[in-house]
This record gives sequence, structure tokens and C-alpha cells, in this order.
Amino acid sequence: MRAIALAAGTAVALVGVYLALGGASYAPAAVADPCAARELRDPKGFEQVAEQIVLSALDGAACELGVSREEIVLAFSSRASLERFAEEHGDSTKELESLVRAGLGRALDDAEREELLDPRIVALLRGVVARVPIEQLLDLLERLPPLTGGR
Amino acid sequence: MPRPATPSDSRSTRSATEGSSEARTRIALLGLSVGLVLADSSVVTIALPEILARYDVEVATLAWALTSYNLALALAALPAAFLARRRPTGVFAVGVVLFAMASLVCGFASSFELLVAARAVQGAAGAAVVCGALGLLADVAGGDAPAARIWALAGVVGAALGPAAGGILTQLLGWESIFLVQAPVVLVALLTLRDVQVVPDTRPLERPHVAANAALLLISGALVAAFFLLVILLINGWRLEPLAAGLVVTVMPIAAIVAARQGHAITPLWARTASGAILIAGGLAALGWLPHAGAAWTVPPQLAIGAGLGLALSALTERALAGRSAQAVHGGWTIAARHAGVVVGLLLLTPIFTAGLERNEDDALAAGTSAVLDSRIPPLEKLTVARRVLVAVDEAKDEARIPAVDEVVGDRDDPAYAQLVSTLQDQLDRAVTNAFSRSFLAAACLALLALVPILLGRRDLTV
Repeated sequence: MRAIALAAGTAVALVGVYLALGGASYAPAAVADPCAARELRDPKGFEQVAEQIVLSALDGAACELGVSREEIVLAFSSRASLERFAEEHGDSTKELESLVRAGLGRALDDAEREELLDPRIVALLRGVVARVPIEQLLDLLERLPPLTGGR
Repeated sequence: MPRPATPSDSRSTRSATEGSSEARTRIALLGLSVGLVLADSSVVTIALPEILARYDVEVATLAWALTSYNLALALAALPAAFLARRRPTGVFAVGVVLFAMASLVCGFASSFELLVAARAVQGAAGAAVVCGALGLLADVAGGDAPAARIWALAGVVGAALGPAAGGILTQLLGWESIFLVQAPVVLVALLTLRDVQVVPDTRPLERPHVAANAALLLISGALVAAFFLLVILLINGWRLEPLAAGLVVTVMPIAAIVAARQGHAITPLWARTASGAILIAGGLAALGWLPHAGAAWTVPPQLAIGAGLGLALSALTERALAGRSAQAVHGGWTIAARHAGVVVGLLLLTPIFTAGLERNEDDALAAGTSAVLDSRIPPLEKLTVARRVLVAVDEAKDEARIPAVDEVVGDRDDPAYAQLVSTLQDQLDRAVTNAFSRSFLAAACLALLALVPILLGRRDLTV
């Protein structure tokens, strides 16, 4: 009987220590709620302002769709993933694209109001956002670093 | 009440009085052959990624390299045991030769189908080896009881050493060497048959020990998580080299040997087996609730599991054999129960593990994307990095491994990149560790379930 008590004590102590050290919650971090306000950084330079605009747009679109902004980013990583995402959420890819474009438009409005960007650049970006297909827009952003002196 | 003298007792008296070094050599070789066959149950676990790369099969299909062996061993154990009861020498000799031949075919297999078929032949031949060896051990070790002790200990040590031996051989000589090395080693055991004349066991056959065999089945099912899933976590999840993983899991056989040797002081026997089952359950539950990724965190749970299996497995095997005729047949029952348990464990835990991987893949991708978006790297590079990581995760999925994020992102002399790499790696480690959690916890439940037959049959287990 003493052996059983010793074994049970050892097992409970081992599990207890692992749980106390966070064993039950050692999992990937949960993503933030896109509808909740995020802590804003102080953007410096065109790149960071553009990033702020894109992230705000993603949050807006994600909040409207009831998903996370990360799911939207992953959905737009390829045409196949976009179609899969649209199928899962009962929307067409066109509706999703227009939702993201609307979000980008609202984010550009905010940027203009906060005077983060020159109004002429905002007008130019509005034209780009309205006409360029989303994948090409993402490809364009990806090719920008060498053009803008980035690494 | 004293048991009437048996053929094996008379044989053993002769051998015991001899007490020669030749007898000890025979015992060692027979123990080695039993250990080798039972180690084969889990020996290729560490080699699975290499086997996957060699044959280009689906990950789900790959499990047949393990399942076919254990299934054949479970199904062939009883027929082999009945044959070994009458002709232990012949059954052992045929088993050894077939096992060696099948091992060579495994080592040179040109297709995965041939490998699986040869593994099944290995399993069936292995059943003949272990059942024949039990009869031969009774002749050389001094009776049924010492034979059962040696046989049980060899089985426990072999099963626990399997993953470690497989890892070391895979890293040093390639996975094929696992099979090519064991062929000559098992053939050496044929030397034990020189000048042996074993009297067939003609005692009436007694009923199998239901409680001990049921507990063996459940504990063996639970141990699948320790011998298979833990190894996969170390190599495929945490990217350890096979040699390192092999060394990490040697903790279990060491703890098992110490516990099996010291555990005899614990009486009654049901208390020893219950203590073992509780320790195994505790160790598996701790693996299910690991607080961090890293091999060091697996050591305390492995100590508990190793000690538990050293206490429970050998005691249950001895109890299933003790005082029951014919010993070879009851040995066959324990082998059938143990390896049926392994197959049940594989069939039960694999879907839980696969579902965990799928669930955590989505969570890890979302957490990784979040880390990239919130990082301090240049904004326009975030897309490039995010896409590279996605491609790497997709490629790694096909090869059943987790990508090394630092290799994907690249070595850049920038604290923002270093921070991002560290965050991404942490999220991947969390995801992969958490993916195994439910299967370890389910295995812990199987070990606890073994307490039911142990407690129900405690009158029978009171020795």
C-alpha cells in the first residue's frame, strides 16, 4: 500500500509541477480581436505609414467578416487559398476583394485626416487600390523593397 | 501447495547443478534474442522520416512499417506458443532463421510494400523466437519461475531499448542497418541449441490469466505514446538528430531496469503492478502537459514511465506465467496481449495525434502571421517573410517535419529579425508540442484503465 501511495504521490507531484509551470496553456498564442482597438505605433516614413494603413484596413475587413486579420492575410496568400476562404465564409472572392478594398479606402481616409500622408499620394494610392487586382497589389508591395532602397 | 514436478523442473535441475558459464552464455543469448524481437516493435520509430524519404509514401501509410510487425506478432503468438509447447527447439530454430531472413529483406527492400510484407514475416517469426526461447530458458535457467523472470526482464529491456538502439544505428549507419545488424545477431542465438534435448511439456493446459493479460494489453497500448509518439515529437517536432533522440530516450530503459530489479521488494504483486500503472499514467500525463518544448522537459516523465513499466510489465508477465502450464502457451498469451495492445494504441492514438496536428497547424499559422505583422522588421519585407514561412511550412508538411525558422528567414544581423525568428520558432514549438498533448493524455487514461483488471484480479495477483 505504501508503494501505491508513493507512486500516486510522485505522479501527482510531477503533473502538478508541470501544470503549475504552464503546461495546460503551452499552445500557440491566440490572435487579437480585429474589432478591438489596437495600440498604435508612431509611424515614421512612408513605409511605416503604408503599413499602418494596410493593417487598419485588414482589421476593418476582418471585423466585418467576423474573422481574424491573420486569416485574411493567409487567404490572400494565393488564389487557391482565397477561393477556399470564400467558400468557407459563403462569399465570392470578388466580395472579399471589395471588402478589403473598402477597408483600405477607409484607412486612407484616416491617414489623410491625420495628415500622415501627402493628399496627392493618398489620391494616387486610392487609384491603385481601386484598380489593381489584390494579388498584383501584394506582388507589387513585395517587389517594392529594392525600388525604395529596402533590403 | 507444492506443484508436482514437471518436465521442465527435471531438466532445470540438471542445468542448475551444472551452473556452468556455458549455461550463463545460453541464458544471455536467449535473453538477447527475446530482447531483440521485442525491441523490433518500436526500433524503426526513429527511422520513419528516413523511410518516408526513401519510399515517398503518405505519412498515414508509413505507420504500417510499425503496425504490420506488431499485428503479425500478436496474431502469430498463440499458434507459435502451442507449437513451442511440444517442440521448443524446432520452433526457436525456424523462428530465428526466418527472422534473420526477413530482416535482410527489410534492409534491402526495394519498395515500401516489400518492407511492410517483410516486417509482417519478421513479426510472425519473432513470435516463434520468443515462445521457443521461453521453453529453452526453462531448461537452462533452473525451472519455470526463473525462466519467466529472465524472459520477462529481457522483454521489458528490449521493448524499452528499441527506440534508442534504432536512433543510434540510423544516425551512424543509416536506417537499413537496423535490420542488417540484427540478422547475424539473432543467428548467434542458434548456438544455444547445441546439445539441447528439451522434453516436450505434456502437462494439461490451464486457462490464461485474464486480469494480467488484460492489464498487459492496456499498459502496452499506453506505452505506444512513450515509445512512438515521444520519439516522433523529439525528431520531427523538435528537430533532434536521431542519435540525440536515441540518447534522450535511453532514460526509460535505464529506469525500467533499476525498477524491475528493485521492485521485487514490493508486495503484494498487485500493489507492484498498480504502482507501475500509476507511474506510467503520471509520466504520460506530464508529457501531455509539457510546460516548454525541449528534450530536458521529457526526462522526469520518462523516469516515471520507465520505472512504471519496470514494475508493471515484468510483474504482470511473471504473474501470467507463474504456476501455469504450459508455460510456453501462457508466454504466447502475454505476447499476444502486449502486441495487440500496441496495435490498439497505434490505431487509437494516431487519429488523435493527426487531428491535433491539423488543429495546431491552423493556430500556428495564425500566430506566426500575427508575429510577422506585429514585428519591427521593415514593413515591405513582412510579405516576403510571411510567404517564405508559409512555403516552408507546406514543404515541411510533405516531409513530416517542422521547419527551422532561422533557415527560412535567413541569417540577418538585425535585432528585429532575431526577435521575429525567436517568436516564430516559439509559436511553432508551442504548436507542435500542443499537437501531441491529447494523445499523451489519452494514453495516460489507458494506463489508468489498466488499474481496473489489476484491482479486479487482485486476489489472483496476490503473490
